[in-house]
Amino acid sequence: MSAATQYYIATICVYVGVNVIGAWGLDLQFGVTGVLNFAFILFQAVGAYTAAMLSLGPASASGGFQQYLFGVHLPFPLPIIGAMLVGAALSAVVGLITLRRLRSDYQAMVMLVVSVVATVVAQSVIGLVNGDAGLSLIPNPVMGLTAFTRQQQTWLFVALCAALMVIVGAFMYALVYSPYGRVLRGTRENEPAIEAMGRSAARARLQVFVIGGALGALSGALLAEFIGAWAPSEWLYPETFVFFTAVIVGGRGSISGVALGAALVGVGIQQAVQYMPIGSNPVVLASMEWVITGLLTMTFLWFRPQGLLPEQRRRFARRREREARALPREQAVSR
Amino acid sequence: MAVFISAVGFGVVTAAILAISAVGFTLQFSVTNVFNLSFGSVMTICGFVAYWLNHGGLNIWLAMAAAAVAGGLISLALNELVFAPFIRHGLNLFGMVIITISVGLIADHSLQALVGPSFFAYTARAGRAFHFADFVLTRQELAIIGIALVLTVLVQVGLQYTRLGRAMRGLAVNASLARACGVPTRRVIALAWFVSGVLAGVGGVALFLDISTFTATTGSEFLIVIIAAAVLGGIGSPRGAVLGAVVVGIVTEVGAAYWNPELKDVLAFGVLIVVLLVRPQGLFAQLATERALAR
Repeated sequence: MSAATQYYIATICVYVGVNVIGAWGLDLQFGVTGVLNFAFILFQAVGAYTAAMLSLGPASASGGFQQYLFGVHLPFPLPIIGAMLVGAALSAVVGLITLRRLRSDYQAMVMLVVSVVATVVAQSVIGLVNGDAGLSLIPNPVMGLTAFTRQQQTWLFVALCAALMVIVGAFMYALVYSPYGRVLRGTRENEPAIEAMGRSAARARLQVFVIGGALGALSGALLAEFIGAWAPSEWLYPETFVFFTAVIVGGRGSISGVALGAALVGVGIQQAVQYMPIGSNPVVLASMEWVITGLLTMTFLWFRPQGLLPEQRRRFARRREREARALPREQAVSR
Repeated sequence: MAVFISAVGFGVVTAAILAISAVGFTLQFSVTNVFNLSFGSVMTICGFVAYWLNHGGLNIWLAMAAAAVAGGLISLALNELVFAPFIRHGLNLFGMVIITISVGLIADHSLQALVGPSFFAYTARAGRAFHFADFVLTRQELAIIGIALVLTVLVQVGLQYTRLGRAMRGLAVNASLARACGVPTRRVIALAWFVSGVLAGVGGVALFLDISTFTATTGSEFLIVIIAAAVLGGIGSPRGAVLGAVVVGIVTEVGAAYWNPELKDVLAFGVLIVVLLVRPQGLFAQLATERALAR
């Protein structure tokens, strides 16, 4: 295989990994718990910027050609961990403001406004994250491993993404299939029932908001380290919608489904557009990606709202029989 | 002081455009409970309809009227062909938000593929400038303010005193009760979408006139400010939307005069957050529980 082909495949692998991790974060919020986070891309962006600033070093070190709030040079994996912590902290702040007090239809709108305003701030306050131009020369942790060739380094990064994806996936399964996962699904399906059982739906929402934010930040950190650059144009608010499409196409609440959806939507559409007979005008191609994403979402919501690999309905055989006898019309809390 | 007053002048123009659009956005929401995030795209399409007519030689105000009709028809068609079928298909409130975003993205990007990423402008003159003390407003700006006043008053009077307005308010409070009382809900909903589209059309052309250059995504970008104004006033309340528009319009333009102009929308957002923390239901609306989608 030529070096270019290898790099192409490795790039696709990294993008799949990053998209899957991010989509799981959103799935935990939207798919499992029913929190509509229209600011999701903001947390990916925060992760990317944090990882960049924690690995770039002081702005003056590279001649000061880009300005940012502060910078230190920390060894791997501290920038990624730092990104997740900052993502979680910001999620907690946004979540505390929006989730607790507002009606849920207001929440969605306020999140949208938060996302847009964050972009405006990042673009116009140059000293924060270098404005519209964004940050560049973000070091990739594998670059330091001089014992390997450039190609091997790329594949090492793929391995890092794969490993993180496996860890996050295992975490998702552990979380969603635990008793706590039932609280989350209950919050989505029947909030009064969950409250009646002494669990706080508001707390569950805030918790998945924070966990999902941290996962979004992780995906952003990996993406920024791989691309080596990060700018506001990467995280305009419609980008959140790509993650929503991934979750809807894959299957809301289904961990394997969402992984499939993230690979198909996040990477597949972009690749498919390249091979369509619509010319090579980059504006038309980029527009087509959005049109296809929108059409795909609507098609799935009409024909297959449960997604490609639907969330499995959990069965509790004996308990269900017992309840069926006790209650003529049972309320399905766990699905 | 002169800076402040002229900034207020700009603010009034922005508020007028915002008021037209926010009333359209919020009226349709109050009747149907669908958060229509494709509203900005309808504004853009109407803006381009007016652009094509205007460059075909039509006076900009006549083009605006044509765009208003186009907006009403597009909005009506979107409801009949997309939104209403999805609601009957059993989609919930959040599903509908996703659908309206999808429609908005499809519309914006189809338009972008058609017209390209360049900037466009009408061939209209701002007209003579009028001075009122330190206010300086062009004839065009005065016309926009006048149109906003007429339209918002019309909507308010219509809601208050006509049969249709009563039906719309009835639907806003309780759709199934309204239907049980003999309100033809489907027709009222269709009319609400039409009126909302007309306001989107006028708002879109007024916005594009005011900012003078526009692209295929300008309307959707402005939608966020419209939402801020509508939520500020209490979503679903046309009166509140006007008040929210005035607050957001004046705060942003005064902020732009004294602070970084690029950050003016951040100010509007700051006001929104503060108000929502103090009064989660917005300035006007009652603290209602979430309602079902009106069919």
